Amino acid sequence: MAAQNNNMEFIIMIITAVILLIPLGYGVVSLASSNDTQPFIEKPDEKYDKCVRDTEYMRLNHMDLLKEIRDDAMRRGKRGEITLNDCRKCHTSRERFCDKCHNVVNAQLDCYGCHYFPK
Amino acid sequence: MERREFLKKSGVLLAGTACACALPLLPAAAKSINVDSENTAGKKWGMVIDLNKCAKDCNACLDACRKENNVAMHGDKRWDIHLIRKVTLKRKHPAESPEISVPLLCNHCERPPCAQACPVKATYKREDGIVIVDHHRCIGCRYCMISCPYNARFFNYRENHEWPNKDNTRSSHGVPESCNFCAHRLDKGKKPACVEACEEINAKALIFGDLNDPGSDVSKVIAGNHVRGIREDFGTKPKVLYIGL
Repeated sequence: MAAQNNNMEFIIMIITAVILLIPLGYGVVSLASSNDTQPFIEKPDEKYDKCVRDTEYMRLNHMDLLKEIRDDAMRRGKRGEITLNDCRKCHTSRERFCDKCHNVVNAQLDCYGCHYFPK
Repeated sequence: MERREFLKKSGVLLAGTACACALPLLPAAAKSINVDSENTAGKKWGMVIDLNKCAKDCNACLDACRKENNVAMHGDKRWDIHLIRKVTLKRKHPAESPEISVPLLCNHCERPPCAQACPVKATYKREDGIVIVDHHRCIGCRYCMISCPYNARFFNYRENHEWPNKDNTRSSHGVPESCNFCAHRLDKGKKPACVEACEEINAKALIFGDLNDPGSDVSKVIAGNHVRGIREDFGTKPKVLYIGL
């Protein structure tokens, strides 16, 4: 009787462990099956020479830079060398550049209600 | 120490500590009340409108403003936005000109009631005196529209579909709008679109410039003529002044 009880406990333990590990396994499998976890971003147009900051900085901090420019222009009246209009000289399309990543991470942009950027 | 003595002393000590802790808050409180920065150095933009030169049937400034600032025109007076508009004023004195056409725009008050009413500081007065609304911060409460004694603010109840000037922003729905003296042009060293349009047709009814500079066109006009603001009794100190009002 006692031996059977031990057996039951062992089985329940294994089932629980399997259930707990399902999400982890799912993640590992989906990660392994999809080759490109990062969205592919195109190179900007031929006119492109150099961005205002290096690629690594822009990838992580472009939103902070944009907010800085915005506050300078809006609050301090400093319309410097960088503007959102300048961005669209190289990054010519919203779909090809902004939306590529923003759709993946599901970040909704509301810049384009007021600022012109071609689709 | 007696019980009474102890309570007295601890009370004094507590009050002292509280005052010391509140000291850093004082300047912040004073700053939030003070929206009047009359003594700031640099420029102070102002406009003089010469009503004797402003033709009744001329709409050059209005058209130029619409084109420059992508102002919505829905064809329905409930939703139309006017950064600058013209009204006809009927009066008894002087008798020879009972009707005059007056261009109205944001008066860019030295003490703007809209900026004082704004709960999120989206409307504020820049150091150069321009009263401007930051649409990024605006929550669309419309307090500024209620507080403006000149009815210069208009609310974007509907989405604007026109976009003639792609280099400038247009307003999305849910934010109020008023004239900002074309701040984006001033920052680049250009004159406002309405003033430029008025100069182009050689009417020169709108005179714009720096009020701090005694050598500027506006200062000379103000010095040489009798100028009045609208409803100066409000004490808002408008920076849009009229000749012949």
